[in-house]
Amino acid sequence: MDTFLAALFSGTSRGAIYALVALGLVIVWRGAGILNYAQMGQAMFSTYIASTMITNGNSYWLAFVVAIFVGAVMGALLDILVMRPLSNKKKTELLSSESMRAAVPVIASLGILGVLQALAGIIWAAEERGFPSPYAQEGFTVAGTVMPFTSFDVFVISVVLTTLLLTSLFFKKTGVGLAMRATALNAEVARLSGIRTNFTRSLSWAFSGAASSLAGLLITPTSNLSPNTLDLVLIIGFTAAVVGGLDSPVGAVIGGFLVGMVISFVSFYGAPEDVFLAILAVLILVLIIRPRGILGAKDARRV
Amino acid sequence: MLEVKNLVTSFGSVIALDGVSFTAQEAKITTVIGANGAGKSTLLRTISGLEHPSSGSITWSGKSLIGKRAEDIVRDGIAHVPEGHAVISELTVEENISMGSLFRRRKFKADVADAQDEMFELFPRLKERRKQLAGTLSGGERQMLAISRALVSRPKLLLLDEPSLGLAPLVVEQIIDSINILCRTTGLTVLLVEQNANTALGVADHGVLLALGKVVADRPAAELRADANLRAAYLGY
Repeated sequence: MDTFLAALFSGTSRGAIYALVALGLVIVWRGAGILNYAQMGQAMFSTYIASTMITNGNSYWLAFVVAIFVGAVMGALLDILVMRPLSNKKKTELLSSESMRAAVPVIASLGILGVLQALAGIIWAAEERGFPSPYAQEGFTVAGTVMPFTSFDVFVISVVLTTLLLTSLFFKKTGVGLAMRATALNAEVARLSGIRTNFTRSLSWAFSGAASSLAGLLITPTSNLSPNTLDLVLIIGFTAAVVGGLDSPVGAVIGGFLVGMVISFVSFYGAPEDVFLAILAVLILVLIIRPRGILGAKDARRV
Repeated sequence: MLEVKNLVTSFGSVIALDGVSFTAQEAKITTVIGANGAGKSTLLRTISGLEHPSSGSITWSGKSLIGKRAEDIVRDGIAHVPEGHAVISELTVEENISMGSLFRRRKFKADVADAQDEMFELFPRLKERRKQLAGTLSGGERQMLAISRALVSRPKLLLLDEPSLGLAPLVVEQIIDSINILCRTTGLTVLLVEQNANTALGVADHGVLLALGKVVADRPAAELRADANLRAAYLGY
């Protein structure tokens, strides 16, 4: 029973973070049609910046806010400086097929990931370092027994749930949110409606960057920080996004929590080494049984 | 007045518009007719900034539109309803309509609400379905929604691409009637592209016949309608 509860709690808190990562991936996928492999590289980079700020005596909360802001700016810059020019029809005319043209930005994002990891290695050295958490990582004590749930877990879940709620309100209730959704769903009709789609697309990248930076801040206290630590998180987040349906933000969140649970239960009941295998099994199973994911649209592109 | 001169638009080695010239008078309905592949849609897409011409000029009330982006051309008072009931299926009816006036919200706050109400008056069926997703609408309702989305931007010039496509004759009549009334009562300039030449020439003031990217006739609609030779040669009836 104790193991079950522990797995459930840890699955919820981990799942919340994967939900954020998946949401970041889905928003860029919908908005720009690009699978951004650099996403957790950006998160790693901004978390390093936060770590350096804290080491230099700044408060955790200042570093927290700055890292998220840096994440957003990095996302927007990535779009403006790299992705937008690469998606320019005229410049890619030399490439014969449509699928090759679609692959260019994705390959570029892999390149960016490499550059970010190398830069982080140069600036901060490649060895692992810890990242602080603002709340205790010891379990609550209820009636003398230590529960598998820490106040940091509570922090993680409440931050993520608040973020998800605000995001959903933003997309549903504001004009900019509507403009971003319209751009993602049908850029041509959006442009004919007077929506500046270059701007809304960059906003999507910024949002995705901020969300993944937040994920980086929330996951590194338990995983440590090195240029490569977040690689696995990207793969898990990607699995979550595919499970939920790549083009559905709500699906991404559901997928995130689901994958979090699978990972948690496998590592509590099986061995931590089996986690990677379990993720792969889930990914392959979903691709075979329901390639469009839980909430994906029927005609979603397969990856 | 919309003035198009020697417009050339090509896709790679395919020339879709090959030196097109014509004018569309203000507060009148001008129709562009022609067979499939004549370049009608490309013409509208070039005017609204979705495609960029390789040469020629487009001027609207004295201002050149060449080199402008689609999202800015809307701000100049030109709204384009592209082919195929262009609405966003995953958004509600209301969201589709308000999308068209997002760019006006700051400057004309009160008018944005008025414009929406006018659309619901013009097409009452949309009002009943305002909370529904656009994807659940019938073809005719979707076309009405696409037109509403364009009209809430308060255009002076409306570019309509094949509004009759795939619709029942009764619905086509209803839509064409509304456009006609709008033009006659509000002074809206309409550029109507149609494959259904009879319907289009019936309501239009002026007709431009396009074949393989070239203008082959540019005359008052009634005259064009009466010319049996042209009809037989280019429209096949």
